[in-house]
This record gives sequence, structure tokens and C-alpha cells, in this order.
Amino acid sequence: MGVTLDSLWLGFSVALQPAVLWYAFIGCLVGTLVGVLPGIGPLAGISILLPITFGLNATNAIVMLAGIYYGSQYGGSTTSILLRIPGEASSVMTCIDGNAMARKGRAGAALCIAAVGSFIAGTFGVIMLALVAPPLATLALKFGPPEYTALLTLGLVFLAYMSTSSLVRTLLMAALGLLLGMIGIDPLSGHFRYSFDIPELGDGIGIVPVAVGLFGLGEILSTPSRQVTAEVIRPKLRELWPNREEWRQSGWPIARGTVMGFLIGIIPGSAHIISSFLSYAVEKKISKHPEEFGKGAVAGVAGPESANNAASTGAFVPMLALGIPTGPVTAVLMAALMIHGVPPGPTLVNDHPQVFWGFIASMYVGNLMLLLLNLPLVGLFVNLLRIPYAYLYPLIIMFCVIGVYEVAHSIVDVWIMLIMGVVGYALKKFNFDPAPLVLGLVIAPIFEMSLRQSLIMSDGNWLIFLQRPIALTLMVVCAGLLAASAVSAITARRDWRAKLAEETKETKETKETKETKETKE
Amino acid sequence: MTLRSDHVAGAAFIAFGVLVLALSGDLPFGRLSAPGAGMMPKLLLVVMIVFGIALVLGAAASKPFAEIEWSDRTHALLLVAITGVAVTLYTTLGFILTMTLLVFTLLTVVERKPVLHAAAYSIGLTVIAWWVFGKALKAPLERGILGF
Repeated sequence: MGVTLDSLWLGFSVALQPAVLWYAFIGCLVGTLVGVLPGIGPLAGISILLPITFGLNATNAIVMLAGIYYGSQYGGSTTSILLRIPGEASSVMTCIDGNAMARKGRAGAALCIAAVGSFIAGTFGVIMLALVAPPLATLALKFGPPEYTALLTLGLVFLAYMSTSSLVRTLLMAALGLLLGMIGIDPLSGHFRYSFDIPELGDGIGIVPVAVGLFGLGEILSTPSRQVTAEVIRPKLRELWPNREEWRQSGWPIARGTVMGFLIGIIPGSAHIISSFLSYAVEKKISKHPEEFGKGAVAGVAGPESANNAASTGAFVPMLALGIPTGPVTAVLMAALMIHGVPPGPTLVNDHPQVFWGFIASMYVGNLMLLLLNLPLVGLFVNLLRIPYAYLYPLIIMFCVIGVYEVAHSIVDVWIMLIMGVVGYALKKFNFDPAPLVLGLVIAPIFEMSLRQSLIMSDGNWLIFLQRPIALTLMVVCAGLLAASAVSAITARRDWRAKLAEETKETKETKETKETKETKE
Repeated sequence: MTLRSDHVAGAAFIAFGVLVLALSGDLPFGRLSAPGAGMMPKLLLVVMIVFGIALVLGAAASKPFAEIEWSDRTHALLLVAITGVAVTLYTTLGFILTMTLLVFTLLTVVERKPVLHAAAYSIGLTVIAWWVFGKALKAPLERGILGF
């Protein structure tokens, strides 16, 4: 504990430097805007702004980009509550009761509860990150290629297991992502793979064009401006403070959402999205008045908003300690660290303590900034929501092109983004989640390298994954998850994932019905 | 039999897998003790084909293909076409001209906004973006044949 406190002291000495504070503020502000504005999520936001960080040092860059990530979780709630359109995927559940509260004249209270819940969850997440990541990194130093292969396999299986779409769809997307990650020169043999004589493809496909295409452009392609209405509820500043009863009703949901969100955040997958759905389901299940859910239940705002913020912090644990991304956003953040010559993983704590602890300390500060930023400036964000979407999306497309081109000054990357935009549009039509694709693309080089090294080490014996204790444990967990999925598929039993998928479908259908109705009107 | 969305999606993945597998002929698979450059891609393609078949076999649970909503296709096609032209011209015309034309075309062709509004907005937006990225953030933006 003493070592952790000393390290945190070092972190705060970095995080409280004026330059770091400035970039944390910029990240939080941009993140809130990214979360507020429909059509652009944290992944596209971070990817587009990644080239801007090239001129910064590693600490400032990661502090700013992480600020965009957790800031977007805060911002997403504003759009959900005031507009009933999720500014960010993890805010879908907040739409239901947050907007219902707003229609009852409690928009200010809903925003305040969401902000306070996010603050508590974010701060708890950072404390846990500081406590959990360093020992995990020490353990990870014992990992060799078989352990990394087993861990990445577990990540993919967990992703498929946790997914609200089917196991097959998730693994198909992950396989496609892994395959895209094979493009370029094979690092072991020097063979060109699928580069079709295009020199730019020799280095492989970058994560930024793929992520911006799938999540930025793909979203815009499937969102005609006539479907985005701007019926914004404007709360008054004096109405921001919840009453005593609302505070009482939000206490336990915030606590439960915080702990649940952090634990889910550590697990690979779109954790911040899954955590908010699970938190909503749990709150509804244990509530004495489940009939109030959907009609403005305070717990329906407090729980999911806390959960998605805690999850976004929890996702940093495997990224920083193991060098493994749990989702597309952490994958881009990892890429950002590597661009700055700081490889995330077990050696990060010891080799770059200023970056590691400065980053953690900056998140304490960032959470406080977000609390102070979100409530008083809610009027400004409401005005932003009034910008017609028809004028907004050309701006986003422009940012997509600049962001992708500036990473490597490659027009091929921009074409890849455009192609991925079309792929993202098609995947949406056929109900595929593109997140596993991005995750597959990111882990492809590590996965292939560790698998091939393991096979070379064992002279082609697959049993190497069962002969080493850590790898064996991870593989047993994999087998358990696959067996659980198989059992529920064979017996057609509706487990918690099926129920969650139904909740998601219902929420989407309600939103689509509302949009169609408004379009017709 | 009703054609369902997963029939189409599964068939597309199978076709993609077979096509890429056919293109992978020159990649050596190697041996298990010395895996070649083609081992991982070929394994993944087989996995993809198997999952594609699984998708087709379980397609009964998916919605009919005819029920997929395509009302946004014109919007999507226009956006892809206009952005594609902008990408083609980007290195020739440079940032300022290409982006002004991109935003202007999106506003006038796709959104049917008045020409003067669209022109003012696209020029203003591009100049602000040029200042923020090019000047304040010192990102080297593309210069075209006209030198800006």
C-alpha cells in the first residue's frame, strides 16, 4: 500500500503540471462533445484526434485521449436524457428512464444523478485500477508465448460469450478482424500477404481507418438527417439538484453499478455497453417497484450511468497491466502509446512510471473536471444539440478524412476508411456488431506471433497449452465458457444473455418506432 | 422457403472465405513445428467458412431478407460517391479546396440546402478546420497543385 501511495504521489506530481491539466481538460471537453453529439462515438472521436497527439509527449497524449473516452460516457447521458437519442452506445439504457424523468420535469435531477453517479464510479474505478494493475503486471511478467496465446483465446471466447448477439456472429466478426490483421508482411518469414502489389498494404491495415470507417462513417451512412430530430428539453440550472427522495433512490444503484461496471470492464468485449444493460436489468429485477422502470425510475438512470463509467475505467486494467486491449477503444489507446514509443504491458509500470501513474492520477483529476464541466455547462451542450444534423455530419465526414489521412499521410488509408464505412453499413443491416472485428484486427499480430512461437517451442505439439499451469487455467476457463454457451444453445435455454439481448432489441425497436413516427410527422 | 437475412450473410461469408482461400495458394502453410506465413490465414478462412455455414443453417431465426430496411440507401450511396470523389481529388486539389467542395456538395446535393448558405458554411467550416488543424495544432495538411 505504501508503495502504491508513493507511486500515486509521483502520479499527481505529473498530473498536476499545467500542461497535463490542460490536455486532461481538452480531452474531457472533447469527450463530452463526442458523447453529446449523435453520430460520433468515442472510438471515432479518439481515432480522428489521434494524429493531433503526434506532437505531444506520451503522457499528455494518453491523458488527452483517455479523457475523450471517459468524457464521452458523461456526455452520452446528456443526449439520452434530453433528446432520447443515445449520444453514445452505452447510453442507450439511460434514454428510457432519463428521458421519462425529463418529460416529468426532472431533467435537471436526471442529469445531476447521472453526473454524480459517473463521478463516483469513475473515481472508484481509478482507485481500483491503481490497486489492481501493478500486481497484475508483475504476474504477467511470468507469461510466455503459450500464456499469451491462451489469454488472447480466452479474450475472444469471453467476448463471444458476453455478446448479446450470437456466439457464431461474434466469432465470425473476430475471425474477419484477425484475417484483416494478417494483411502485410509476415514478420517471421517476410512473405507479403494479400497486399496485391499495393506498397502501403505491406505494413498492414491500420486500426484507425478501420475504426473510423466502421464506427464513424458507417454510422453516418445509415443515419439520414431526416431521421434525427432535435426536440430538446432544456433544464433550468436551479432544477439541477435532485430532491432528498431522488438521492435516496439513487444511492444503492450507483454503488451496485459501480462495482458491477468495474468488474465487467476488465473482461474483453464492449464492456461499457454491456455493463449499462446488465445494471439496468439488475436494478429492474431487484426493485420493489419494477413497474416504474420505463416511466422515470431514478435507479434506471443512476445504475447504468455509474456502470458504464466504471467499466470504461476497468477496461484500462488489462490494457495497462497485460498490454491486451479489451475493446476497440482501448486498442486505439494502445496504438497511441506505441506510436509514442511506450509499449503498454507488464513492463509499463517499471519502465515508464511517470506515464503510468501520471495517467492514473490524471483520471482522478479528469473525473472532477467532468463533474464541474457537465453540470454548469449543460445549457451550452443543449445548444449544441440544436445544430441541425444536416450541417453536422459533413463536418464529421471532414474530420474522418483528415484524421485518417494525417496518421500516415496515406490516401490508401482513406480509401480503406471509405470501404470500411460501406462494410459497417452492411454489417448494421445484417445485425452484426463490428466491435469484435476491430478487436480481432488489433490482437492479430500478437495472437499469430505467440501461437506460432508456442508451436515452434513445442515442436508442433498443441499440448503445450495444457502443460503450463497458467495457460492450462486459462484454457479450462475457455472450455467452461464454450460449454456454457453450447448447453444454452442445445437446450434453447434463455439465460441472462438472451434476456439482455431482448432488452436491447426492445429498446432499439422503441427508438426506431419513435424515429419513424417523427419522420412521418 | 423464405430467403432470410442470415442466408444472405452466411452465403456472403462462405463466398468471401472461398475466394480468399483461392487467392492464398502461394502462401506456405508450413508444418506445425515450423508454421508458415499461410497457416494462420488459412485456418481463419476455414473457421470463417464453417461459421458461414452455421449461420446459413441457423437462418430460420433471422428476419426475412425482404424485411431489411433499405430506405437510407440513396443517402448512403450519395455520401459514398461524393466522399469517394473527394478522396480521389484530395492529393491533387489539397485540403482547402477539396474539403470546401466536399461539404458544399453534401449540403446542396444530399441535403438540398440553399446554395448561398451551403457556400458560406462550407467555406467558413474549412477555414476554421484549416486554422485549427494546420495552424494551431501544426498538422501538415495536404497542399494542392495551387499551392494551398
